[in-house]
Amino acid sequence: MKRQTPRGIWALRGVTIAIAIMVLLVVGTVVYSAYEDYSAVRPEFSPGSSQVQATATPYGSAGETVSVTVTVPNGGLYTLDVTLTCDNPSPNISCTEGHVSVPPGQQQVLRFTLTVLNLQQYLSSSDRRINGTVAMALEPFVSLSIATDLSGLVPAGGA
Amino acid sequence: MSFGKTFSNRQRIVKALWALVLNVILWIVIPYYIGTLLAGRVGGTPLTIPTFVYEFGIVFTALDVGAAYFDGLVWCVPFLSGVAILSAVYLWLVTNGGDLSITEMNISIALEFRLLLYVFIVPSIWAAVRAPLSYLVWRRALSSQPAVPPPPPPAP
Repeated sequence: MKRQTPRGIWALRGVTIAIAIMVLLVVGTVVYSAYEDYSAVRPEFSPGSSQVQATATPYGSAGETVSVTVTVPNGGLYTLDVTLTCDNPSPNISCTEGHVSVPPGQQQVLRFTLTVLNLQQYLSSSDRRINGTVAMALEPFVSLSIATDLSGLVPAGGA
Repeated sequence: MSFGKTFSNRQRIVKALWALVLNVILWIVIPYYIGTLLAGRVGGTPLTIPTFVYEFGIVFTALDVGAAYFDGLVWCVPFLSGVAILSAVYLWLVTNGGDLSITEMNISIALEFRLLLYVFIVPSIWAAVRAPLSYLVWRRALSSQPAVPPPPPPAP
């Protein structure tokens, strides 16, 4: 005679299946959102993209301010936070932090300004690295920050 | 986990050997090669330390072999719960609590996914709880079943 599986065991199996579905849903939506946001945001930040509008304006007599305006779309399912900052600006370099929080299905404009005083000295120096961080977060699950060099934003020939 | 099923000693040994081979591959060989790939690139994970891989691999293998050998008996419960708890701890340690840093070609990337890690750990915690619960449910069902009637007397 085959023994029947107790109802409690079925209930435990049900909980296991529910947990597995929950994990698959969370992981699936996070991976989908990350892929969608990456495909949408990457072209916007690429050098030479028409979306990156770097306008250099003379600052005083010897400096320059670079304004970067990027449209950040969010094609994913979670809120996308994007932050652009300078990490350790030197006395000659300063910047304002650019931050946007984009709800799903919308797009917002990120504005970031970088001011370089004494531009000629900066352009003639061998170490022109400007440490910056691009931070992206899929709220509330994943955040990614990339330390990168922002010196490419400063036009080589000055304003 | 199959309470109530009976296995011969030979079946138990075969299951335990099979678990031994699988676990050595899964918890020692594969993590070792992943660790050598990540060494120097990913900071924060102890997967790049061979002793960490060996120690956890040996404990995992011992617990899973025990669970396979005692399958169907009450003795498999602590082994199953042990494997589940250890896998949660292992996941937490190898991901540095959901905080990894990657350095490649002068670009450093910091990745934080603590909440996602909690989601990954939930099935392991549930498996640790489920093993003793399943045994209790099975015992309860067994004790509430009517006694098996005696076999009919042989026909004259």
